[in-house]
Amino acid sequence: MASISLQGAQKSYGDHQPVIRNVDLEIGENEFCVFLGPSGCGKSTLLRMIAGLEDLSDGQLKIGGRLMNDVPAAERGVAMVFQSYALFPHMTVFENMAFGLKLAKTPTATIAAKVNQAARILQLENLLDRYPKALSGGQRQRVAIGRAIVREPGVFLFDEPLSNLDATLRGQTRIEIARLHKQFAAASVVYVTHDQIEAMTLADKIVLLHAGKDMEQHGSIAQIGAPLTLYHRPVSRFVAGFIGSPRMNFLPAQVSAIDSAGVEVALDQTGEKLRVNVSGDQLKPGQAVTLGIRPEHLESAPPSAVPPTQIIRRPISLIEALGEHSYLHLNAPEQPVLIAKAPGDATVKVGETVSFVAPAHACHLFTENGFAVPHLESHP
Amino acid sequence: MFPMPVEHWKPLNRRIYKLSLPIALLIWLLPMIAVMVTSIRSTEELTEGNYWGWPKHFALWANYHEALTTSPMLHYFFNSVMITVPAVAGAIALAAMAGFSLAVYNFRGNTALFATFVAGNFVPIQILMIPVRDLSLHMGLFNTLPALILFHIAFQTGFCTLFLRNFIKQLPYELVEAARIEGAGEWTVFFRIVLPLIRPALAALSILVFTFVWNDYFWALCLTQGDEAAPLTVGVAALKGQWTTAWNLVSAGSILAALPSVLMFFAMQRHFVAGLTFGATKG
Repeated sequence: MASISLQGAQKSYGDHQPVIRNVDLEIGENEFCVFLGPSGCGKSTLLRMIAGLEDLSDGQLKIGGRLMNDVPAAERGVAMVFQSYALFPHMTVFENMAFGLKLAKTPTATIAAKVNQAARILQLENLLDRYPKALSGGQRQRVAIGRAIVREPGVFLFDEPLSNLDATLRGQTRIEIARLHKQFAAASVVYVTHDQIEAMTLADKIVLLHAGKDMEQHGSIAQIGAPLTLYHRPVSRFVAGFIGSPRMNFLPAQVSAIDSAGVEVALDQTGEKLRVNVSGDQLKPGQAVTLGIRPEHLESAPPSAVPPTQIIRRPISLIEALGEHSYLHLNAPEQPVLIAKAPGDATVKVGETVSFVAPAHACHLFTENGFAVPHLESHP
Repeated sequence: MFPMPVEHWKPLNRRIYKLSLPIALLIWLLPMIAVMVTSIRSTEELTEGNYWGWPKHFALWANYHEALTTSPMLHYFFNSVMITVPAVAGAIALAAMAGFSLAVYNFRGNTALFATFVAGNFVPIQILMIPVRDLSLHMGLFNTLPALILFHIAFQTGFCTLFLRNFIKQLPYELVEAARIEGAGEWTVFFRIVLPLIRPALAALSILVFTFVWNDYFWALCLTQGDEAAPLTVGVAALKGQWTTAWNLVSAGSILAALPSVLMFFAMQRHFVAGLTFGATKG
């Protein structure tokens, strides 16, 4: 129902350095947008700026095409689910959910119909007469969501809504939110989280934010894109390291050869040569770069692989066996750790030297200033 | 660990404690008991000098009846009510609004203003006696009920604001934000969200202020002359004669004067709900 547009948005408190810099962002109607970032990156602040709970120090905010900088929260037509739920403790579940509708002078019969419908969707029908103190954490969370959806707003804002729930409930509620989003297809959603699983599974679009030094240098936004774009084609070392768990391996290397099919680099520690499918236009032979490869993209190679290309050989220093798969920590003493994902039934032992293939298309190259060297073809 | 439960004390200490507690209680309550017993003693007994013995016959009805009818007690009572109720309501209404803005809004000078409210409580009210009396004379309010109402409101609001501001500050601020997002204006936030949640504080404060204003003798004496605007406290004092004092009547009057504060306490007790905000946020 309403798109959100931020132009040059900036936030600073008093005379201090801005905590949010240069945010240009378009969130379309019906888009599920997730703000993701390390703690202290200002993702909640950005959400609160959209909600009208914080002023913009600079820049413009438009919701549904209307300039909202000076419009109070009450008139922005947004609904928000708080991290702490923020249910009104002196009101029953019904009254909590009806609060906004009552203020909007909705007829009583309509209020009852809407609240009952929302209660049915959220399985709160039997709890409508209860007070928040008589509810469990998950139920409170659903009431908070119910309070947001009964008003059928153009914009839903979620501020880390699942962080106070236990793991099982978090998974369930995540699925529920995804389902609700499909039901309320007209509304756009902005969802703040530090949990990348939530971000990857829910988002149409992820906005990954910088914190601290990176923010001062490059602005608040690290990358905007679909979840798989951020995973496969990170634009910087920060994005590559933030998305994915365990994080991407970073190995210092030097450019050894450049041709039209890609770039060949030699690892600093071992001299192993690896090809990477990136454009060499901006690179020079001998230039220091960082090679990135995700643990799950390292493929186990038979010891006798011929020809020995794209091979990384390392002794195993530690095995984290998680059952379905294991993480192998590969490094000789004094070497940085390289993590590889192996099947859970792999029969390897600590101390054994193993070989892994690092496919050229799965490797990333980062220049010294942290930017990714563009890939030659788009990701699958 | 301190304090240690009484059951874990040494037997001797426990026995001393159990003996000394009722004695201390008795000594502490003695003046109260004396007033209550005197209020049902007959005049003859008092003239005979039986101050502390068990009353020989009870003059309950006679004493209270006389206290109520021979002096303008009901008039004083009416004055007390007419002073206390508006003063309590006014002070708390003003303080709730002031406390709300001091707790919720982040405006320039907020801290300074709050500090002024706090500092005002440190001014000894006695030094204001003459200026306030002069002021009320100039305003033409001397010896009227509005004079007492106004000055009680003015003096009580400072403390009430301090108390309520701190109480409102303790509420989860998300509740205010959530209400605003739901479309509530500031008055709605105040009346529909904040006021219901500070009900225990309002009840406690209203008892405190009620008792203070109801029992006030100092300002009543400063700002009234004669019976016209005098409240109960002044009235009870007036029961004292110039040469002799009917102590049984003064006692009966005092008990009557004290009753409303006690009743007020019981009336407000049900509002003392502990943990009213429980369940607002994560449990």
